[in-house]
Amino acid sequence: MIAASHLTKRFGSRSAVADVTLDIGRSEIVALVGPNGAGKTTTLRMLAGLIAPTSGTVAVDNIAMTRATGSMLRARIGFLTEAAGLWDRLTVRENLTTYARLYALANADRAIDRLLDLFDLRDRARTKAAELSKGMRQKVALARALLHEPHVLLLDEPTSGLDPEIARSVRGLIADRRAAGCAILVSTHNLDEAERIADRVAVLHQRLIAVDAPAALRRRLATGRVLVRVEGDPALYLATARGFDSGAVVDGAMLVVRASERTPALVSALVQAGARIFEIRQEMPALEDAYLHLVGTERSARL
Amino acid sequence: MSRTGALIAKEWLDLRRNIGALVPVGIVTLLSVIVPFAIAIGIPFFTGEALSDDPTLERISAVADPGGVMVGSARIQLFLLQQFLVLFLLTPITGAMSLAAHAIIGEKQTRTLEPLLATPVTTGELLVAKVLGVLIPTLAISLAGVVLYLVGIVALADPGVPAAMLSARSAVLVLLVGPAAALVALQTALLISSRVNDPRTAQQFGVLFIVPLMIVLIAQFGGSLWLSASMLAAIGLGLIAAWVLLTFLSIAMFERETILTRWR
Repeated sequence: MIAASHLTKRFGSRSAVADVTLDIGRSEIVALVGPNGAGKTTTLRMLAGLIAPTSGTVAVDNIAMTRATGSMLRARIGFLTEAAGLWDRLTVRENLTTYARLYALANADRAIDRLLDLFDLRDRARTKAAELSKGMRQKVALARALLHEPHVLLLDEPTSGLDPEIARSVRGLIADRRAAGCAILVSTHNLDEAERIADRVAVLHQRLIAVDAPAALRRRLATGRVLVRVEGDPALYLATARGFDSGAVVDGAMLVVRASERTPALVSALVQAGARIFEIRQEMPALEDAYLHLVGTERSARL
Repeated sequence: MSRTGALIAKEWLDLRRNIGALVPVGIVTLLSVIVPFAIAIGIPFFTGEALSDDPTLERISAVADPGGVMVGSARIQLFLLQQFLVLFLLTPITGAMSLAAHAIIGEKQTRTLEPLLATPVTTGELLVAKVLGVLIPTLAISLAGVVLYLVGIVALADPGVPAAMLSARSAVLVLLVGPAAALVALQTALLISSRVNDPRTAQQFGVLFIVPLMIVLIAQFGGSLWLSASMLAAIGLGLIAAWVLLTFLSIAMFERETILTRWR
């Protein structure tokens, strides 16, 4: 649906984005994460056809984004900018109506009504944008991005500054668009959100450091350690555990054992030793740990 | 509705909610109506001195009536009221300059430009909509002022003056040169608005357009310059051509990237 190939952007001597290649397919959400100044917004702007790359190409539906095709391809993209960017003196409906006309929608009123209902904004339709809360403004901006039913969605920090309830409803709407077949790129600082909604996470630090499923990124830092919670004092079973891993330790109510492939045998041994096991799980780093590791490694490599 | 039409409709809606922005146009228009009558009719009435008592005025007013049909105060009234018609060229420029100067910078500062540029709208459509969105309401106010001016002439001026005012020269001045000069001034302000990051800069540059018009006005009053209907028509067409060139120049010089990434 949307593909970036060797996308590079330089502002004078400063490189904002370097050699980014990323393909987002139908019904897929990719979360774009990276530190401040990593080039996330610049990447989104290039994909949206707002700024031209220094080198590399962007293609939507296999059509290259050029000066000649830009206007036509922008009609296929819904872009949620970092700021809501509503005309304050216009009402919610007037804001949406103007955009519906810019997209030459045949049945604008119906499309607007549908989105007002979807975002629970019907009773705010005649409210001036200046009078809306930040959450409401974000909803209107999202409605605006969806107005023309684009099949590519580029969302720059869609839940930034929203309260948890509205943020959750926005995430729900993004998931709905994926179900409807959209290719979606979400720029976010919220790694928990990235893990919850994204099929893949792209870690950007000028260049793409990694692109993978959230679980796969976490597995990169996996230690192979197993955490076992037993009834009573776990120290009673430390000797059994050390039969598998001499470095096994007790951490609070847990036995921490590097068992990995031998986990079934460990469980059997513990049960034979009289342990009643309440919980057993593999120690997995959080996506945040994986992210910090990746970005930290990248920074070190540049020094 | 075309994309240009959609943007013009938005501009008008915005202006309607911010009617105070048009007050300067109204004030300048009102002054353009009042000042000529105060000078050509009010002052002689209150001082008791006829315009024809001034030999200089008597001499230079001859240009307004080359056929020599009118004499005395009527001819001087015609001369003065014709000259002051130039003021109506200034009204859309002075009044709308700040609106045009804010056109692009304003969208940038309120962060509405980026979502707008993410739509299929082209630079040409955006710039034409911005100019017409400002020009049409201000021209409408200005033309209303001209109508009021003509009504005033019919009601207050000496016999023969109203008929003489309804000339090809007046028509060309009001219907061609006025709008064309406004187009050029506003397009220039818009061009500057898309190149600087402070609306005051655009406004200051745009106001420079008033200078040549003031020179024309002063030269006419001094009797050293009298622009005939055909000369005015040529100027009007020249201004239209300049506007077309400026529009293309504005499109060529509109740098989305610079505006989005370097303005703060």
